[in-house]
Amino acid sequence: MNTTNTILEIRQLSRSYRSVKAIRELSLSINAGQAFGLLGPNGSGKTTTLSIIAGILKQDAGTYSWFGEDPPTPQQRTKIGSLIENPHFYPYLTLEQNLKIICEIKQIGYNDIDRVLEETKLSERKKSRFKTLSLGMKQRLGIAAALLGDPQILVLDEPTNGLDPEGIAEVRDTVMAQVEKGKTLILASHILSEVEKICSHVAILKNGELLASGSVEEILAEEEVVEFSCAENEKLKAILQNSDIVLHTRTENGLLVATLAPGMQSSDLNKFAFENLFVITHLRSRKKSLEAHFLELVK
Amino acid sequence: MKKLLRIEQIKILNYLPFQVLLGLYVLAIILGLVIYPLFDKQVPIVSLTDLFRFPDVWPFMTWITEPYNTMLALIVIMVTTNEFTNHTFKTQVIFGLGRAELLWQKLALIFILAMVATLLVTITSVLLGLSYSYKLTLNIALENSWMMLPYFLSSVAYMTFGLLFAILIKNTASAILGFIGFRTFLEPVLFLILRKYEIKWFLPMRANTRLTPLPNLIEMFEQKLDGDGEAMEASAMEILPKGLPMWANILLVLGYVALTVFISFRLMQKKKLT
Repeated sequence: MNTTNTILEIRQLSRSYRSVKAIRELSLSINAGQAFGLLGPNGSGKTTTLSIIAGILKQDAGTYSWFGEDPPTPQQRTKIGSLIENPHFYPYLTLEQNLKIICEIKQIGYNDIDRVLEETKLSERKKSRFKTLSLGMKQRLGIAAALLGDPQILVLDEPTNGLDPEGIAEVRDTVMAQVEKGKTLILASHILSEVEKICSHVAILKNGELLASGSVEEILAEEEVVEFSCAENEKLKAILQNSDIVLHTRTENGLLVATLAPGMQSSDLNKFAFENLFVITHLRSRKKSLEAHFLELVK
Repeated sequence: MKKLLRIEQIKILNYLPFQVLLGLYVLAIILGLVIYPLFDKQVPIVSLTDLFRFPDVWPFMTWITEPYNTMLALIVIMVTTNEFTNHTFKTQVIFGLGRAELLWQKLALIFILAMVATLLVTITSVLLGLSYSYKLTLNIALENSWMMLPYFLSSVAYMTFGLLFAILIKNTASAILGFIGFRTFLEPVLFLILRKYEIKWFLPMRANTRLTPLPNLIEMFEQKLDGDGEAMEASAMEILPKGLPMWANILLVLGYVALTVFISFRLMQKKKLT
């Protein structure tokens, strides 16, 4: 295993709130350059997980390490831009003063403040007090603070929370731009389309347990279902059963319906059939959306 | 540490209630300067201005300004509970401060406020001493000036005690109520209950106020008054509380400060910051 590439390693992390188990023995590994989505319904343990790795909550059991360094230190967090739950700042200070405090903590110069305010379209409000901001603006300031110092790692917990559709689109663009720059992103969300659009990898959580984890395509491909037919459906079905292209095949309304094996695509199936002298007359991918898979998983 | 001071400076200097309370503190000391001499004219025979002479001005000023330390403790309680209610402790940890550093910020603030208070009272005492003393030599002026050290310690003790209340209770109003209630009600009642036992001198607030004891006024005035000095002194011994010797008191309060800070650190390590 290449440890230098591992940004975050979570091992057997558990945390309970009284009798409720928020996360149970969660293990994850996130590598440099990944856009990692933490997907799950409300109460699945996303925020608990992020709070622990951000140092604001103590785990009951298990460990985690940033950059392959044990144990985690506050110093490491200065290299990470985080937004956990709602952003909290000093209500009586201006945006600029609030960001100055973050600059001091991260030990960087004040000259980055204008850039991040520009990027989150808050420049005009630079001298306003934090308490005068709207909910959406507060959220954007949280993102601005996370971007201060241009950190290589971003940890965002529901960054589009409380934003209007326009705001959501803007934040998504900002985050996507960061991902395109090659930054590592850890994004918690219960919005599937968000994860699908932004992330390269995804972990699905439910009741604090990891249900599935892998690249977004992998998880999608796992469940890729293809319907097809040819002149001799039953013969093709028999051959396919013994191949490693499909997991299983069934007959449905005179069509064959197959679930593809991981990594296989409908073209592989077509090619296989052609090589075995079957001419496929009908082929349609019933690619399950992440949403369908997600709902199935968390059911 | 420089980093922590700069952060605290941004937070504090732009915080209106802090400015108001600190302003009140300074005003209270200045007003005292104006008001005490005014009373003077109404008291026959003894003059309060006698107390403003070197070296008596030192014990008198430390004693009279000691209750003002409550205001400093309130400042510390407010700025600390605010960090909890605004969830800004959490924000600072997320961006890279350690939990211990959160507390070091407040301890640095306490140290600076105590320095300011001590300096202010020192300057006031020197000014008073210079204007009211008949005889002025360096020796006389500096006699008793060591009392500013226990005064500084007393300031620190008040504020660390306030800090502990703030961390324990988190809510501003409740923490202030808790602190004032403890100082003005709970501990005095405990003192009364324990009045027969020497342990009463070990109560934290009592030990703290004993750092700046009520000056032996009668002994001070005695030289001015005709009559039986010895009898006066005997009655003074009856009135004045005895308690621990100063050095033991200093050690005791140092112990309390250390304990308070230790407990505060332990609490901060465990506290959920969300």
